[in-house]
Amino acid sequence: MNLILANTGSYPRIGDKPEEQILRKTIAAWERGEKTDSDLRAAENEVTMQVIYEQVAAGLDMVTDGQVRWYDPISHIAGKFEGVEINGLLRFFDTNFYFRQPVISGKIRRKESIVVDEFLFAKAVSPKPVKPVITGPYTLARLSIVNSDHYRELSKLVEDFAIGISEEIKELSKARAEVIQVDEPAILKNPGDFDILKEALLIMNEAKRTSKLALYSYFGDASPLYDMLQELPVDIIGLDLTYGRDLIQVILDRGSQKALGLGLIDGRNTKLENKEEVAKTIERLLPKIKADISYLNPSCGLEFLPRDKAFEKLKNMTEIKKMLFQGEGDGTR
Amino acid sequence: MGRDKLKQLGIDLPLFPTTTVGSFPKPDYLLQARAGFLKGEVSLEKLRDLEKKATEFWIGVQEELGIDVVVDGEQYRGDMVAFFAEHLSGFEIGGLVRSYGNRYYRKPIIVSEVEWPGPITVEWWRFAQSLTSKPVKGMLTGPYTIMDWSFNEYYPDRKSACFALAREIRKEVEALIEAGAKIIQIDEPATSVRPEELDMVVESMHIVTDGLPAYFITHICYGDFESIYPSMLRIPVDNFDLEMSNSNLDLLNLFRKYPFSADISFGVIDVHSHKIEDLETVKERIRSALEVLPKENVWIDPDCGLKTRTIDETIAKLKVMLQAVREFRG
Repeated sequence: MNLILANTGSYPRIGDKPEEQILRKTIAAWERGEKTDSDLRAAENEVTMQVIYEQVAAGLDMVTDGQVRWYDPISHIAGKFEGVEINGLLRFFDTNFYFRQPVISGKIRRKESIVVDEFLFAKAVSPKPVKPVITGPYTLARLSIVNSDHYRELSKLVEDFAIGISEEIKELSKARAEVIQVDEPAILKNPGDFDILKEALLIMNEAKRTSKLALYSYFGDASPLYDMLQELPVDIIGLDLTYGRDLIQVILDRGSQKALGLGLIDGRNTKLENKEEVAKTIERLLPKIKADISYLNPSCGLEFLPRDKAFEKLKNMTEIKKMLFQGEGDGTR
Repeated sequence: MGRDKLKQLGIDLPLFPTTTVGSFPKPDYLLQARAGFLKGEVSLEKLRDLEKKATEFWIGVQEELGIDVVVDGEQYRGDMVAFFAEHLSGFEIGGLVRSYGNRYYRKPIIVSEVEWPGPITVEWWRFAQSLTSKPVKGMLTGPYTIMDWSFNEYYPDRKSACFALAREIRKEVEALIEAGAKIIQIDEPATSVRPEELDMVVESMHIVTDGLPAYFITHICYGDFESIYPSMLRIPVDNFDLEMSNSNLDLLNLFRKYPFSADISFGVIDVHSHKIEDLETVKERIRSALEVLPKENVWIDPDCGLKTRTIDETIAKLKVMLQAVREFRG
């Protein structure tokens, strides 16, 4: 069993050091008309490199680009669809972060690639594999306001988002992404819509070619959905294990046919996990997982933490892995 | 109902009392002084003088505009949670965290038992009240929001952190009342975030306000009101200050289904837009409100604090609001 240390999504784009503030400063100057679009791209590129190097320095095996170019996980994706306008601010689940809400004004269609260029840049500068992450069709649809007769049913909107996202997955796969992660946090609070999600994943699964498709959910307890998640046409299931202990017990009881992304590191609180405790939990979980590879990752994106704490959390993961595989070489056993 | 309480407290307000949610933008000289203070180039004394100057400016603006219940404008505060975290003991101020777009704040960390160190806002309230004959609102951030917007490394769970904070915030409320404050606003913008925790908000507000002689307002914004209405009416305050315009007045549909039973400060100005509302837009919002709400219960204000707008935008937006209210008073 190989345990891969991975990031889950975002990474703080700002820190306390002056060089960690260039993106904020450049965006502010760009808004005042004092910086050009290409200045802004350059700052985004630089911060992307910074956060990739930080993840590598912390010891991760698989990094993300930190989503430093994203305004938020919803409008950044939905905004690249025809038939979508971007509206006012709304709280992002139960976090202290706000996103701009999409308004569906007509038939939606992906008009351009969404994160492919971001992935290609990150891949070119990263010494470790990069995992592209994209918000899933169900969550995009669920957080949108529908102002169009075209979509009287949620399922139809999810399907059209899924068609667009699957085009994206196809391109990411062509660009040789090993793992492509689709985030569907909204399903946890709306288990009744599970069939809609399943239909969407059938569409996306067809597009993945040789890449592995990962489905991540967070900000809630997935135990009631666990059996159904196991049935989905995906290769990896990412679970937020910080919302109560139930889910850990569910995995222990029922095992997993699929590779799991173990979200044992709380991406929402600064308190550092007790390494021994987490290592013990992983030790119990691994034999129950029928896959060659498991992933240890934060419960969600790390942008909810200050930069120094995000780094400490990742370093903590590295130390947990060391404890687990002491004297066993590279973590393979 | 609310009016009787206000009368008992000696406060007589016109129909559609006007107010603001709390914060106003800081003048450039104050922003520069705050930056200079952080670098050690400006003394605390000098900074305080400029904060007072800016407070006087905003009291003057509110008087001139004819606002009925005024605020000190929070010129001496940064973030609404960090300000209290800096003053209560038990907190550490963490690094920057993004709140939206290109906006960031320092999210506090609870690292030990929280404790009220003595009056935090009372001197500022006294100062503001000395400048005007209009009632000045005492302005506090509520325990649930302070808890929700902080990291917690000390208390075993959210509830114990929230109630511990509530007991300390109550002491600040008592100090404000002792100084003479009659209207006290306890902001709980985080209320609508986790509907399953509404009881925690209700109980903690009881801890903060029970048995105290003041007219209490709470400000709640952004979120899923559908899942907490009408149960949120159990929060023990006299007036709910709600963001209405940013959500196209969607809340009114809920009020049609289940009548709103308290006073309301009805947000008619979108604080996140640079655009100055035209008079007709604001009047239409008030008209819509009055279709559903009894007019004697309605206060009029902006959606939220105005600190992210420029001074000119703020004044221009408020002018339109006051003009609209005057036309409704007839």
